[in-house]
Amino acid sequence: MPPEEPDRSAASILAFCQFARAHGLPAGVQQSLAAVEAAKSIGEVARQEFAFTLRAALTSSKHEWDLFPQLFEAFWSASRHRDKTPSGKVGKSGQDAQEHQASFQALTKESIGEGSTAEGETKSVWGASAQQRLQKMDFSNVPQDDFALMEEIAMRLFRRMSLRFSRRFKIRDLAERVDIRRTIRRSIPRGGDPIVLAFQGRKPQKRRLVIFLDISGSMNAYSLFLVRFAYALQRYFKRVDTFLFSTEVVEITEVLRTSDLREALRRLSQKAVGWAGGTKIGESLKEFNRQFGRKLLTGNSVFIILSDGWDTGEPELLAEELRRISQRVQQVVWLNPLLGLEEYEPVTRGMSAALPHVDVFAPAHNLESLVALERIL
Amino acid sequence: MATSPLPGETQLKDVDAVIEAFERLGYVTDRALATSVYLVVKLHKPLLIEGHAGLGKTEVAKVLAAMLGTRLIRLQCYEGLDVNSAVYEWNYQKQLLAIKIQEKSEQTVQEKEQHIFSKEFLLERPLLQSIVAEESAPVLLIDEIDRADEAFEAFLLELLSDFQISVPEMGTIKARHVPHVVLTSNRTRELSDALKRRCFYHWIDYPNFEKELKIVRTRLPDLEEELGRQVVRFMQATRELDLTKPPGVTETLDCAMSAMSLGKHQLDAQTVEETIGCVTKSMEDTEKLKAAGIERLLSS
Repeated sequence: MPPEEPDRSAASILAFCQFARAHGLPAGVQQSLAAVEAAKSIGEVARQEFAFTLRAALTSSKHEWDLFPQLFEAFWSASRHRDKTPSGKVGKSGQDAQEHQASFQALTKESIGEGSTAEGETKSVWGASAQQRLQKMDFSNVPQDDFALMEEIAMRLFRRMSLRFSRRFKIRDLAERVDIRRTIRRSIPRGGDPIVLAFQGRKPQKRRLVIFLDISGSMNAYSLFLVRFAYALQRYFKRVDTFLFSTEVVEITEVLRTSDLREALRRLSQKAVGWAGGTKIGESLKEFNRQFGRKLLTGNSVFIILSDGWDTGEPELLAEELRRISQRVQQVVWLNPLLGLEEYEPVTRGMSAALPHVDVFAPAHNLESLVALERIL
Repeated sequence: MATSPLPGETQLKDVDAVIEAFERLGYVTDRALATSVYLVVKLHKPLLIEGHAGLGKTEVAKVLAAMLGTRLIRLQCYEGLDVNSAVYEWNYQKQLLAIKIQEKSEQTVQEKEQHIFSKEFLLERPLLQSIVAEESAPVLLIDEIDRADEAFEAFLLELLSDFQISVPEMGTIKARHVPHVVLTSNRTRELSDALKRRCFYHWIDYPNFEKELKIVRTRLPDLEEELGRQVVRFMQATRELDLTKPPGVTETLDCAMSAMSLGKHQLDAQTVEETIGCVTKSMEDTEKLKAAGIERLLSS
């Protein structure tokens, strides 16, 4: 081994794990120990194999897998001083990692930084009051600096919401199906005649969600967060189908269907969407009905449309298409960020034409309002 | 060299031995994957393999089982997978009949119950099968774990920690040989942290030209060299397009086999059109492929 390169002792490996954690690779205690064990098992091998070994133990997603090589190089190259302790200050490779991540463009071409992991320490400094402030802040007002934190809070809230959904259903106690096993048990003393029936609780039917996001000019900032909302909800709902619209309709379900949020956002930004002209809600709904209606609008679906209702098309068309949808689905939910404004009254032609067909009319201008949706969904 | 036996668990010497054994069994691998496999066998930790469809994730488990000379037990995951299908189920019909038969017998209720809920009436499903294997540690393949739900993952996690299963009527069954566990995922959903951290991880990517050509040569030794090269080149070019379902290595082999069975010696545009179903798996993808120009892709 060339001089100055750190040895492969357990101590070095653990130091590397610490270094990795500081640079965006969240390897926990269990994995660090696995890395040490693995290195011991593989024995004296070439540098590359040693890297493979550590990578197998310390990564657990494609994103981390891709990130690993540069971290490995940074730590185990001869130029690095052995006793430089990783202090959270980014080294050369850390900087590359930051740039690499910073180049992920979000839907509105603003970078929602992964840099928050390096600032992870600052999270504790913010405290409850700042978090509350951000939860109430209108999405369109969020300053650039707060973006990363906002996203973090959002994802945490959404995930908890998803978990609550799944737990909620387990407590139900409706008798529906016969539980054969327990029935047999109970029938043994009765010579096999199932006199006393045991029941299974009903397995709740998972619902489908169709999300229709308006991404025209003024709606941009809101859609950004709702895309993340849609992404997080995928975990609970049997199926979340997401669409973007302004003058045309684009399906982004597959794009979001990946385990990595950052990857999903990256793919989203690459998808070309037509922005020209004013919003055509009625037309978009019509297009949606035509292409996807049959497949997606079923009795156990919930149709959520996020839009401020400013429509350059005919309100009659909007009303008609929405009526069609509401006839087929369980609920039509219209989320209007303008409802967050105190003085707002839905008097625009588009909005008022749509209202009779809407089951739930709710605001969606900040995190608080999104979390409140839990009651409806 | 060809006559030496495949290494069993204890004889597995090093990563080279894995590479060699895998190649003998017809699976072209790289050093990284061989290292992961080696670690998994030696340390008895589960391996999580992620990657796009058609890249040989499932095959790793099969080849591993063949290499170790042990049984492969496969659990195919799907949404709604539950304990009955994954672990065990009681043979209800048999039980009901037995109860009827026992009706007049002299046994006490307890004895009857014990008989009804004994191994004789237990249908062992994959997870339980993997625990009760007698001779040697089997390879347990949990395929497409991302299709199962979180409740199942939680159960699996428990299993992977203790390697024992409790059947309420029978007690706890402990593993005689801890199975080698391989999980695959298509990344349609994020797996739980706890599960991911428990496993070693490997990401299988699309192969480069040389590797893919080697795979084709290994699996289709009768294929003409030039045809093989053309197929691989075409597939590599196709992957550059933004298809919803880019073709994997399975598709490459399908395409090559089709061309071969049609008696072709060259991969021309007509052949591609005839066998387009091997390459693209949806209308939209087919159109995208045609829009990109099959001729152009063939000559790239």
